[in-house]
Amino acid sequence: MLNRRDFLKAGAGIALAAALPARAAAAAGHIVIIGGGVGGATAAKYLKLYNPALRVTVIETNRTYIRPYGSSEVLTGHVGMNDLNVSYDTLKSKYGVGFVFDTVVGFDPAKKQVRTAGRQTIAYDKLVVSPGISLQYQAIPGYSAAVAETRAPSGWIPGSQTALLTKQLQAMRPGGTFVIVAPPNPYRCPPGPYERAALVTEWMRKHNPSGKVLILDPKDSFVTDATMQLGWHRLYGYNIPNDYLSDMPAGVKNSGKPSPIEWVRAMDGGAPQSLDARTLTVMTKQGAVKADVLNVIPPMKAGKLAFDMGLTDASGFCPVDRRSFESSVHRDVFVIGDASIADAMPKSGFSANNQAKVTARAIVAQMAGRAPGEPVWENTCYALAGSDYGLYVADVFRLKDGKITRLPGERYLPLDASMAKIRLAAAYQQAWLKTFTEDCFA
Amino acid sequence: MGTLMKSLVFACAALAATLPSAHAAEPSGEAMAATCAGCHGTQGRLGTVEFVPLAGLSEDEFVRAMRDFKSGKRPSTLMSVVANGFTESEIRSMARYFAGVKPSPAQ
Ligand SMILES: Cc1cc2nc3c(=O)[nH]c(=O)nc-3n(C[C@H](O)[C@H](O)[C@H](O)COP(=O)(O)OP(=O)(O)OC[C@H]3O[C@@H](n4cnc5c(N)ncnc54)[C@H](O)[C@@H]3O)c2cc1C
Repeated sequence: MLNRRDFLKAGAGIALAAALPARAAAAAGHIVIIGGGVGGATAAKYLKLYNPALRVTVIETNRTYIRPYGSSEVLTGHVGMNDLNVSYDTLKSKYGVGFVFDTVVGFDPAKKQVRTAGRQTIAYDKLVVSPGISLQYQAIPGYSAAVAETRAPSGWIPGSQTALLTKQLQAMRPGGTFVIVAPPNPYRCPPGPYERAALVTEWMRKHNPSGKVLILDPKDSFVTDATMQLGWHRLYGYNIPNDYLSDMPAGVKNSGKPSPIEWVRAMDGGAPQSLDARTLTVMTKQGAVKADVLNVIPPMKAGKLAFDMGLTDASGFCPVDRRSFESSVHRDVFVIGDASIADAMPKSGFSANNQAKVTARAIVAQMAGRAPGEPVWENTCYALAGSDYGLYVADVFRLKDGKITRLPGERYLPLDASMAKIRLAAAYQQAWLKTFTEDCFA
Repeated sequence: MGTLMKSLVFACAALAATLPSAHAAEPSGEAMAATCAGCHGTQGRLGTVEFVPLAGLSEDEFVRAMRDFKSGKRPSTLMSVVANGFTESEIRSMARYFAGVKPSPAQ
């Protein structure tokens, strides 16, 4: 594996190799995008929409994108692995985005070039980097990438681990326990681990009625925690902790009976300390917890590429000028999506999509010699407590004193929302999967 | 200061804090419209039934809808949250943008 010095050298070493001509489109310029996920694809599309004269090239490892959003629905068989596949064809044919299917392994910021594993050198005028996250498997003693691929999948970057987890759930013994180890902040998709817990609980009611879902958490709270727990309570008889109970609508009372879903917070000893992959046991302050299926969602940092390119700071994510998402480390390099530091914005697909648009506008302005305009971002995360039980968090964000700030006010589904609204939110969640994919990729 | 007066001042301050400042620089209509696209389609051009396509909507209709979402007159799931994130003048410039976009043939 290349260390960072080698990585930079790999970029510099090809100075004399034939670089792809950036000159042809010199008037408008060549924008290179690394990563064809939510952030990268949206940036490519909107750059072409805002200025069709730009030459835009996406460098992406995989020929087909596997979307992470909505991927927990594979576990319950609501969709298949193939339904997660998203094609790049429309970005090519309708918008004229160029694609290089290869992995970036070298970077020369002085020469403004990147190099790929396939030994191509690609020169840029502006570079957008949207590599997503890297999973810090080794942060939990006993866990590793190898364990995740064979025994205790994470399935937080969808692919073989999602398929393995699905197989394990379906083969779980009657009455078994599906343990989810939740990640510490900050992580991709804040309501995601809890939505997954809900969908698995719902699935078990039909297919493994004595089965149980147990969430072990290094945190004491999560975004949408009140509305999600109310959903669990109504649908599965979940016992709401006392400190949340006081805010619940009148009439919400715990049965006290064991429930098929349980959330053990850090304050209750739920923080994972280590695990034994052979016996599927998680060590916590509360003691050893034995799983039948173990889904570990480990701590996260920016995608490995961001580290290799030297774009990260001590936090493990990439500092940027919030107005444009231009890197604070390298000029003409923009970092968007999960890998970037975006203050109040969550690491979500919706955020990555909105950041990509702000960056596309800033790049078009910079190329035309104008200052970037005033930015605005939005985030909407719909989440499910059950197939027909939707909830959400929604925010509009503005730039304030150089930081991205959320406007104060209501942001969740009200706790006293009608069942009609709750069902509508679930319908919108499903519709959003389609419209959102279209806005990013078609 | 009387208690009533104090709470009035407080209420106004709280209200001001929840509204984007009218004096701050405004994003362009196109930039604001881009934040809607994840649900309402790129440039508001949408062919699905669940969300309302915004392309080609008359300015009045857009402004009225956003006002009614803000006031709660029009019930919504999360559109009240979104509408509250924009000033009156920003809503107008978004409305102008969408009114000028040709609707999608599927609309
Ligand atoms: C279970 C789950 C549910 C979710 N649900 C939602 C939801 O409901 N709503 C929501 O908004 N978000 C949701 N998300 C989060 C969302 O999927 C991510 O936040 C989003 O994908 C981030 O986009 P990105 O561009 O930063 O990274 P990604 O989409 O991960 O894209 C990164 C791309 O970069 C490529 N890449 C990396 N390194 C290189 C390299 N060296 N060379 C070439 N290519 C490279 C990768 O192959 C990948 O295609 C969910 C996530 C999960 C896991």
